[in-house]
Amino acid sequence: MRMLLLSTLLVGCGLAVAGAAEFEPPVRLKADGVSVRVESPGYAAPCWADVDGDGKKDLLVGQFSGGKIQVYKNLGDGKLAAGQWLKAEGAVAEVPGVW
Amino acid sequence: MAGLFQVLRGQADGTFKKAEALEGTDGEPLIIPVEKENWVDNICTRPFAVDWDGDEHLDLVVGNFTGTFFLFKGEGKGKFLPEPQQIKVDDQPLTIKGHHSDPFVIDWDGDGDLDLLSGSSEGGLQIAENHAGAGKSPELVAFKSLIEPRQQSASDETLRDEDLTGPSSSTRIWIDDMNSDGKLDVFVGDLVTLVAPAGGLTEKEFKAKYDEWQVTFAKVVKEMNSPSGDEKTQIEARQRFQKLYSQRSEFMKEDRTGFVWLYLQK
Repeated sequence: MRMLLLSTLLVGCGLAVAGAAEFEPPVRLKADGVSVRVESPGYAAPCWADVDGDGKKDLLVGQFSGGKIQVYKNLGDGKLAAGQWLKAEGAVAEVPGVW
Repeated sequence: MAGLFQVLRGQADGTFKKAEALEGTDGEPLIIPVEKENWVDNICTRPFAVDWDGDEHLDLVVGNFTGTFFLFKGEGKGKFLPEPQQIKVDDQPLTIKGHHSDPFVIDWDGDGDLDLLSGSSEGGLQIAENHAGAGKSPELVAFKSLIEPRQQSASDETLRDEDLTGPSSSTRIWIDDMNSDGKLDVFVGDLVTLVAPAGGLTEKEFKAKYDEWQVTFAKVVKEMNSPSGDEKTQIEARQRFQKLYSQRSEFMKEDRTGFVWLYLQK
């Protein structure tokens, strides 16, 4: 394993880093000027992937409620468009078994 | 049914097919097999597709409610052996601190082998480093913390949006070089409960109500946990506890939600 100095970084949410990595303080992601958030009861599950094939990775966020997934298109320059539900066969995609 | 692996197959035109349960090579839905009493072991919290063993076929590394990990070996073309292997360290199941293992497999430290990272019900980010080296079967070591969970405090009971400075509990992670600077960054999704005054209360009225409720609540909890209390007293205390807890909605709106945070690596 690559040996790096053990470093710690105190950020707003507490002692944030241990081990071979240093991070900037966490930033809450926004899309179209609004915080990216999921419906009740929460459990946001992010994924960074080029879902529309335009060469830029987009933000996908899964949620507990309905097993649905929001897609936030990457507009470039660190900007994300407002979220739209991922669709499958023309309807909002749902992952069964998530209750 | 909870515990199955769902796949939304991509189409040539960029759209997706509806979710369908992934099947093993035996034609049965893939699921972590467990004994009846350990049913939470088979509820998958995240499947992660990666060539874990270097045979050029995608495998599935999956987490579960308990906080352990299983490997479904891939046979190529989206086929997986039905019997998974539990991922172990020193012959013991590899386990995260907390529950709800959330595997993400990537060469985090750039040494040529795949490391296993995970979120947790407790929050934060943990890493089990692979010490095998490039091209060898993974040899993981026990998890250590890479990002500590947020410190819990009494004020969490009345958390507001503006109080948030980082992820809360039930973290789900994604790792990539988001800003193309050559260093891996971490996306963290979470679960948090935000509160606001209900019933048209002002902030001052809300605080007074909440403080009053807290005093009564603490008293009932003490009664409920009293070792000297007889069964009847404890049942009554539990009933008061439930009633009191539901009364919170009269003065407090609670919104369970989740956000996505980004940690850029320096």
